Amino acid sequence: MSVEVKNVTKKFGSFTALDNVSLKVESGELVALLGPSGSGKTTLLRTIAGLEFPDPGTAQILFYGEDVTQIPASERKAGFAFQHYALFRHLSVFENIAFGLRVRPKTTRPPEAEIRARVDKLLKLIQLEPMAGRFPSQLSGGQRQRVALARALAVEPKVLLLDEPFGALDAKVRKELRRWLRQLHDEIHITTLFVTHDQEEALEVSDRVAILRAGKIEQIGTPEEIYDNPASPFVYDFLGNVNLFSGRMKDGAVVIGETEFSLGEGTGETDTAAVAFVRPHDIRVTRQANGPALAALVLRSNAAGPVANLELKRLDSGEIFNVQLSKEQFQELAPKAGEPVFVELKNVRVFSDDYSI
Amino acid sequence: MTPAATTFHTPHPVAQRRSTTESPLVRRLLIGVALAFLSVFLLVPLVAVFSQAFAKGIGFYFHTLSDPNAWSAIKLTLYAAAIAVPLNCVFGVAAAWAIAKFDFRGKNVLLTLIDLPFSVSPVISGLIYVLVFGAQGWLGHYRDAEQPWLPWLQNWLNEHNFKIIFAVPGIVLATIFVTFPFVARELIPLMQAQGRSEEEAARVLGASGWQTFWRVTLPNIKWGLLYGVILCNARAMGEFGAVSVVSGKIRGETNTIPLHIEALYDDLNIAGAFAVASLLAFLALITLALKTWVEYQHARQNQTKMFP
Repeated sequence: MSVEVKNVTKKFGSFTALDNVSLKVESGELVALLGPSGSGKTTLLRTIAGLEFPDPGTAQILFYGEDVTQIPASERKAGFAFQHYALFRHLSVFENIAFGLRVRPKTTRPPEAEIRARVDKLLKLIQLEPMAGRFPSQLSGGQRQRVALARALAVEPKVLLLDEPFGALDAKVRKELRRWLRQLHDEIHITTLFVTHDQEEALEVSDRVAILRAGKIEQIGTPEEIYDNPASPFVYDFLGNVNLFSGRMKDGAVVIGETEFSLGEGTGETDTAAVAFVRPHDIRVTRQANGPALAALVLRSNAAGPVANLELKRLDSGEIFNVQLSKEQFQELAPKAGEPVFVELKNVRVFSDDYSI
Repeated sequence: MTPAATTFHTPHPVAQRRSTTESPLVRRLLIGVALAFLSVFLLVPLVAVFSQAFAKGIGFYFHTLSDPNAWSAIKLTLYAAAIAVPLNCVFGVAAAWAIAKFDFRGKNVLLTLIDLPFSVSPVISGLIYVLVFGAQGWLGHYRDAEQPWLPWLQNWLNEHNFKIIFAVPGIVLATIFVTFPFVARELIPLMQAQGRSEEEAARVLGASGWQTFWRVTLPNIKWGLLYGVILCNARAMGEFGAVSVVSGKIRGETNTIPLHIEALYDDLNIAGAFAVASLLAFLALITLALKTWVEYQHARQNQTKMFP
């Protein structure tokens, strides 16, 4: 266990940023802290780094078993990359990376030659060797983020903490850097936590994802686990687009309108109000009903991009929902606006206060 | 012709005028008003100072400046500034650091207090010192007290006949009070705009508080600090009101340059007064030049970091 957070609560005035959060990160793991803004993910990361201190109580933060709860940030040996990089504007790229080594006390400071060698190695790692003499303001956003990462890595931290590492970059650079981070992590295997509000980024890059909501960890698991088995409607909704169908429970099935959709296993609950969650790509659109299906009207269709999106309206309740089709399915169906169709729902999930399926 | 073509191929340059540009007449008028105002209120007085200073010839000019009383005033002014400016520099950096980088209760009260010397008339600031440290004030009562708190301090004060009012310490105190907002006021908005993240980055990288200050904070604020120091110094040397109240105006002892000028003027030694005044005018010009140089350096440094 390399990073362990136990019962951390942090309040800013009357606002509870972290509400009794506990989290364990295995050595060498890449964990994403995912959540909407205000969910406490950045506060959690800053608390681990020692930039915020948890409210007094039973809170504990352990690095490799060592209690660092009361140790200041400067002695925790955590690498931290800030959302807006926080590079030292008056220092060159080279000196930015060397900073953490130069501020060490004389007894532990490496000799100048070793500092140079280490910085050069890191410059090579981030592929910015020709930029060593430049100042941060002369770099692009993606280059700055790489320098920030190299600066954090230069002190050989025990943990790497990244706050929205790609947040301020444009979509293309984001994707490149995301892949680069994953490769880097596979090379150096440093325990890494990173904060993001982008579910795609969290699911693509990390070994495990912790989903935060209102200062609590709602669910933690591998990307597959949380995508396929969301623990709550919030997680379901947060991880991708979802359609809600209001209906009623009936013997292991949910009745939406007049149609009964099986949920696979019995729940014993009968005739209670329920909301069914269905992802847009788990809806099949046909012209003829064969099996349980709802009648709907095509409102709009958009086939730009790799998949086609349909906007449909239920004939019985008037609820509007979205469907995602592959290009082939879309061409085969060729739906027209105003046309009546049938929809079959797959992987229907129902949540209520007491249970979930 | 299409409307677009009309816009792009117009034969009349007048039509290309930007919406924010005024006619030449208005422009000349505006520039003229600004220049006339500057000449009447700044340039003419400045020229007058130097012409009056040399009205009785260059020999008289240097005779006035080398007078022992003038020398004493110059030395006292430099002495007061040499104490006030470094102290206010330290205070200003500390206050700006506290306000910009930390959140604490009473922050707004501190901000208001820093502005106090700007909002209080200098004469009042001087009078406050007289009330507190004068012979009839707290210090006077303490020196005369029969059963004083800390008897050795009373002994020491009486043995050395230590005075604050109508003496050098009072002048230094008054100068510090009147000039302390300059550095802090210059730095607070700058440091607030720069935020805390660079300091946080330094901390996480293992830098101590001092290292963070010397290696990260100070280099980022150095031009703002220098600018504040220049303004602070100009005011410290030129301060009249507060110093005038606490000084007692003893010639050759507690007169600063501005007070000495007043004394000469009261003696109807107009040329002498202007000769000493030319020193302050000269200081103002140097301050102006330094200020411009600092701004230029600052801009140039930003520029080179942007475009090598």
